[in-house]
Amino acid sequence: MQLRNRAAYGFLAPYLMIFATFWIWPIISSFLMSFQNTRVNPWVFSLGANWGRLFNDPAFYNALKNTMIILIVQVPVMITLATVMAVLLNSPLLKARGLFRFAFFAPVVVGEVAYAAVFRLMFNLDFGIINKLLNSVGIPSISWFAEAPAAMALLIIAVTWRWAGYNAIIILAGLQSIPGDVYEAATLDRVSKARQFIYITLPLLKPIILFCVILSIIGSMQLFTEPMLITNRGGPGGGTETLGLFLYRQGFTSLNFGYASAIAYTMAALAIVISLLNLWVGRDQK
Amino acid sequence: MAELSLKNVVKRFGSYEIIRNASLDVADGEFVVFVGPSGCGKSTLLRMIAGLEHITDGEIHIGDTLVNDVEPADRGIAMVFQSYALYPHMTVEQNLAFGLRMTGNPKADTDRRVQRVADILQIKELMQRRPKQLSGGQRQRVAIGRAIVREPRVFLFDEPLSNLDAELRVQMRVEISRLHKELGTTMIYVTHDQTEAMTLADKIVVLRGGNIEQIGAPLDLYDNPANQFVAGFVGSPKMNFMSAEVTATDSDNVTLTLLNQGNVRLSLPLKNPPPAIGDAVTLGVRPEHFAKAGEGVADLTIAVDVAEHLGNTSYIYANVAGGEQLIIEREESRNEIKTDTLTVAIKSSHALLFDKTGNRLR
Repeated sequence: MQLRNRAAYGFLAPYLMIFATFWIWPIISSFLMSFQNTRVNPWVFSLGANWGRLFNDPAFYNALKNTMIILIVQVPVMITLATVMAVLLNSPLLKARGLFRFAFFAPVVVGEVAYAAVFRLMFNLDFGIINKLLNSVGIPSISWFAEAPAAMALLIIAVTWRWAGYNAIIILAGLQSIPGDVYEAATLDRVSKARQFIYITLPLLKPIILFCVILSIIGSMQLFTEPMLITNRGGPGGGTETLGLFLYRQGFTSLNFGYASAIAYTMAALAIVISLLNLWVGRDQK
Repeated sequence: MAELSLKNVVKRFGSYEIIRNASLDVADGEFVVFVGPSGCGKSTLLRMIAGLEHITDGEIHIGDTLVNDVEPADRGIAMVFQSYALYPHMTVEQNLAFGLRMTGNPKADTDRRVQRVADILQIKELMQRRPKQLSGGQRQRVAIGRAIVREPRVFLFDEPLSNLDAELRVQMRVEISRLHKELGTTMIYVTHDQTEAMTLADKIVVLRGGNIEQIGAPLDLYDNPANQFVAGFVGSPKMNFMSAEVTATDSDNVTLTLLNQGNVRLSLPLKNPPPAIGDAVTLGVRPEHFAKAGEGVADLTIAVDVAEHLGNTSYIYANVAGGEQLIIEREESRNEIKTDTLTVAIKSSHALLFDKTGNRLR
């Protein structure tokens, strides 16, 4: 090995060691663990203990269903909202643009626990502002934490509030990379503003939107903080338990590491499959 | 096809005036070139005609219609942008047809027009390609095609060749000229390149600092520039300017001393009211308007700095006092050109005279 290569590896070594210990090894170890019954001592190889159970476990299917509902409802709503926000932020008519940009991005930098606490207060059955507002327009109070559909809606609202602005900023960067004279050319081509948006803006934003969708899919698959803190550990009665929370419960409450590993691999596989599906659907058709 | 006229058009951003009282008449089918240095307002003026910029004051007429408040799409104009502004996600064919399809033009007519444009511009084999798969020249052709397909009354070109290399620029220049002959449509073309202006235009509009300095046919501008700016801007290589002082005048002549050429004195016929004795003036002589020694009103002996031999002609560059540079064109055999000093004569027939504010005296 040449001296300069050796020096390079020398400098890289501390990072590589940490990477191998805390990334590579856990990935391999958890894969092996997913084939072991970790409820007995010593652990023994067993395909049925984890993978077999996974396919027959109603709690897993419940968590999968909840995650998919969030994915299917929340991601499209949030990305649509983010696109609208980005277009508004990009409008030359908007005053105090910097302030709005900050305001939309701010939820991401708010501490998770603080934001969860505020949402719990806002959606409180008896004195939360949301029910007060609903009452003021004649809608009776909703028991946000006691009814599964309402709790799910709350979760979706919370996640959307937290991440829409973040996606809007990414989409805004995409919007700003579209040259203005393309729109001027379209204006001279007698294309209305609405059609310019549909036929020029959206197709040119497609790669950016796809990127945001995939980031959001991965985020939704891992959703943990909100069901843990806002809807009180996936309540009511597992009504908002997501795969992330289910994994946590199996691994760190029941200490069944083998099963938790199998769940983790399932989540990763699902995220990859859904993302690939998205890329395939959104591919450039020649 | 349509004529176009601007009447006292003004563009102001806050208190800053970009265009001052621009008035211009363009005849039906005329090729007009706006030329001037960067920031002179030529592109702004074009964009105001297109409707992409509002005008602060004045009137713009296209045909018989006052278009001040008419939307760009309804002005009957098409524009070719400097950056081409092609729709990057569409094929060439889609780029050409997009506007027509969006406005619900019948498919058969759209197809016919797109085919015709593809024939005119010889881009048939490119129809299924995307803009990023095209060279600069091909993109420019498509951009021009997109303008033609709309069959506009007026074509607007905003520095369409400035992103192309020198060879392609010449080729496209010829094509645009041919296109104008073929279509016979009114065209307005913005450039900072005076060669493009000279070769393409029926009429040139020279702008500086938001003012129209002169409007005229290319050779009129070349032979009879209204002021020192136009004289210097039109023509390549540039006209030589020599600082001088008026030393004597009479009813028909003015006598000057060239300050940076060893106080050479010369006398020029002058019909206009003469400047006062002692006034600073500038003598303007184009590089090709120097004669052989003894054949003009005064001889200049210059130290040759660089000689450029282009084959058919040669340019002699000489640095003289006061930071002035003289460029002299010599068509005689390159072997006869002395490489150290050269004596040439100023011909009175082609010598121009400007006062110290740049206004032309003769």
